[in-house]
Amino acid sequence: MRGKWYVLVALGVVALGLAAPLPVSAHGVNLEYTSDVTIEITARYDSGTPMADAQVTVYAPDDDTTPWLTGVCDEEGRFSFVPDTSMPGTWDVQVRLAGHGGIIHIPVGGGTTAADGVGGFTHLQIGLMSACVVWGAVGTALYFSRRRKA
Amino acid sequence: MHIPDGILPLPVTGAGYAVTAVTTWYSVRRINQQEDPRRDVPKASLLTAAFFVASWIHVPVPPTSIHLVLNGLLGALLGYYAFPAILIGLFFQAVMFGHGGLTTLGINAMIMGLPAIVAHYIFRLRKARGGETQKKTGVFGFLAGVVAMGISVALFVVILLTNLPAEIDVVSEKAAIYALAIAHIPLIFIEGAITALVTTFLRRVRPGVLDGV
Repeated sequence: MRGKWYVLVALGVVALGLAAPLPVSAHGVNLEYTSDVTIEITARYDSGTPMADAQVTVYAPDDDTTPWLTGVCDEEGRFSFVPDTSMPGTWDVQVRLAGHGGIIHIPVGGGTTAADGVGGFTHLQIGLMSACVVWGAVGTALYFSRRRKA
Repeated sequence: MHIPDGILPLPVTGAGYAVTAVTTWYSVRRINQQEDPRRDVPKASLLTAAFFVASWIHVPVPPTSIHLVLNGLLGALLGYYAFPAILIGLFFQAVMFGHGGLTTLGINAMIMGLPAIVAHYIFRLRKARGGETQKKTGVFGFLAGVVAMGISVALFVVILLTNLPAEIDVVSEKAAIYALAIAHIPLIFIEGAITALVTTFLRRVRPGVLDGV
């Protein structure tokens, strides 16, 4: 283990030595920056399984019909792209695999929060909502099966 | 099995709604022609709840996971009540679980509801030639479940394959659709087995439930 550290330190010293002799002659400063926002999408089925190799279609805000970019998710259902920040607005990203999928609307420039079509309900919420629907059905059944008064 | 929003072009979803509207109208008409249309409402209501919850039960079949549909069971037990029951169940699935979507409600009702009506007619064959027996109930229950699910998978595949958008990689999407269809083959037999089990059980315990269908 120790040997490895020595190698690393030695490499560091060599790197410093290479960097040091570079001429630092200019006095004018030219600073540039790019603030590319990378958007990473993770696509999973609601069972939690990642949508591996799902097809991704990205639509720019100015054109909802022609894809701006197409691509494929990786094994973990992830896909990332850099939107053109000169086109602020809502970018639509569609993910589909074997007829399943969805669209997520991502605001670029301005707001930073994204919301997809389906509300992100927790399992508890879904359980509660299901229980309400089931009870509605049971109630209907009870109502229609009561004895009719003569 | 549920096609979500944004996958199919608008005219196709519109056609789905049209087919569903006509089928619902016809189903309700058939229900009204019965002696007492209210008699089977409790049964239909409880099976709607079962259908609604079934899509939440995932069965992992690599590389994907599938869920129960139970449309064959609904068709066998409910007859023409099955179509409205499935439509209502699908509506709640779309709104609450995000399974399917509201624009594709018509097309999904078509995919799952029409085979249920077929299942109804298959299950009725148990009464032909010498009357109904426990064995025939099981056999035709199984067939009803298998055929209903089989038609659903076929409709799902055909509708998707005929409406592939040009901008995606058609070859890999086709491969993915076929893989999904193959993953549903076990489900076809599971649905058949469930339908056979439930119908034979009901025949033994409460034969009155099967009277009307």
